[in-house]
Amino acid sequence: MSGHVVIEASGIRLRERAHEFDFRLAEGEIVGLAGLEGHGQAAFLEALAGHRPPSVGSITIADGAARHAITDAHAAYRHGVVYLAQDRKSEGIFPSLSILDNFRILTLGEASRLGVVSSRRAREAFERHRQRLDIVLSGPNAPITSLSGGNQQKVLLARLLEAQPRVMLLNDPTRGVDYPTRLALFAVFEQLAVEADVSIVVLSTEIDEIISHSHRAVVFREGAPRVELGRNELTREAILAGMFGLEAPDGSPESAR
Amino acid sequence: MTALAVRRSFGAGAGMVVTLLVVLLVVNAFLNPARLAPAGILTTLGLAAPLMLAALATTPSILSGGGGIDISIGPMIGFINVVMVTFLFGNGFESPIVVVPLVLALGALLGAVNGFLVAYVRLQPIVATLGTYLVFFGITPWIQPRPGGDAPEWLLRLGDDFALVPLVFVGILWFAIWRTPLYAYLMAMGGSAKAAYTSGVEVARVKLLAYALGGVIAAVAAFALTALIGSADPNIGPPITLKAIAAVALGGVSLAGGRGGFIGAGVGALVIFSLELALTGTGASTFVLQMIFGLVLVAAVLFNALVARRR
Repeated sequence: MSGHVVIEASGIRLRERAHEFDFRLAEGEIVGLAGLEGHGQAAFLEALAGHRPPSVGSITIADGAARHAITDAHAAYRHGVVYLAQDRKSEGIFPSLSILDNFRILTLGEASRLGVVSSRRAREAFERHRQRLDIVLSGPNAPITSLSGGNQQKVLLARLLEAQPRVMLLNDPTRGVDYPTRLALFAVFEQLAVEADVSIVVLSTEIDEIISHSHRAVVFREGAPRVELGRNELTREAILAGMFGLEAPDGSPESAR
Repeated sequence: MTALAVRRSFGAGAGMVVTLLVVLLVVNAFLNPARLAPAGILTTLGLAAPLMLAALATTPSILSGGGGIDISIGPMIGFINVVMVTFLFGNGFESPIVVVPLVLALGALLGAVNGFLVAYVRLQPIVATLGTYLVFFGITPWIQPRPGGDAPEWLLRLGDDFALVPLVFVGILWFAIWRTPLYAYLMAMGGSAKAAYTSGVEVARVKLLAYALGGVIAAVAAFALTALIGSADPNIGPPITLKAIAAVALGGVSLAGGRGGFIGAGVGALVIFSLELALTGTGASTFVLQMIFGLVLVAAVLFNALVARRR
């Protein structure tokens, strides 16, 4: 991946006494994040999304010719960064709202004419995503809580897609999702990366997902990347070695620092 | 918006509140038939309008969730009443073309100050608006120590023949907002502030707008109040807060945010007003009234909690 750099983090530190590091995300690239729980990979994703700016260093996003600092969640969104939360129940869905309202909450501003929300347009847009993502539901006005976990996740994904993002930050998108849906979700991610040059950073607790779907992987340990693996270096052993802070069996992966 | 939204805008205990209202109306019709007769109905509505509007003014901040509430609404209405009568009418500015935009802008500004303290300074809403409550409470008698002053003829007519005008104005305002993204953001935020933030909704700005909207409606309430009393009264504002919050809670608006709406709040205010009307008709003292409003507030919140738990 030698495309145009979209997000650039330089000299960021995620927590006290952790190493500072740099990170670059290219257009159309899919980067997998791995690590034992609590080793900084989730904090890193949240930092990229503007939820928790790092204490040291800066994160910027290219928008046209200019670069903008990502300082908060809305700033990130304005420049085309969307985020899918890990905890779907408390940070993803709006449990009191309908499926359609959950879908359109991000894009209400764009979907309105002269400040008035157009329900018809939202319904049409939702229908397109429903077909593409194969969402199973009784009707768009049913409560979001009436859907299965996998279908809720698809509605959230539809919400992000409708915003036509340039960067998608996905925090364990397949958690609590059945196997066929997992494959379907990653098929969509790969298609977006190839066809629309969308850059994707995906954190997964499933090592196999990272191996089969990402262009490169960053393995976190103690608040910073421990190893960075290119496409040809992506093996289960190498990722596990990075997670546990061991030398990889064949000693090939270079250190990210 | 959607059918779900319509149901939500009335709240969970709609049946109970409407039943209560009907019972109270029957009691009032029995105690004082002239009040509800066609000839007197607009005057009665003019009497009810300040409280109804105060309840509506309290609603947006509560809907925004996260402990959102504007308890300064009562003294704010009193402050606007005194400013309007003393500074505008007292200096000969009586034309509605001048007065109406100025007063609405003042309301928006006062509400926005509350919103700024809550959304950007990040004070707890109840603390921030208790602060502004006390400021309005203190500054109002300083401008106008005793009841006095006059109101122009056009304004006085809003107290009887044209009593519907302020209510319809706010109704249209709310209907317009209901169809904009602001309303959906407000309800979403009240339902789950965390999800709203992580998905990129501009939470702080929506909060600021909710409080500013409350301020604008408080200004309309100040018009209705001034129309009713025809003068400035430094003591009339503060007691409105408790009644307005009781009305909102009674109308099925969840004090936790995200659930309820304007229709419910308005009906809740009508119940409180009818209760007040019936009790004053029997000669109960204002102390008894205050006590009953307090009991209604506790009972309404309890009832809402029970309904919510059963879901």
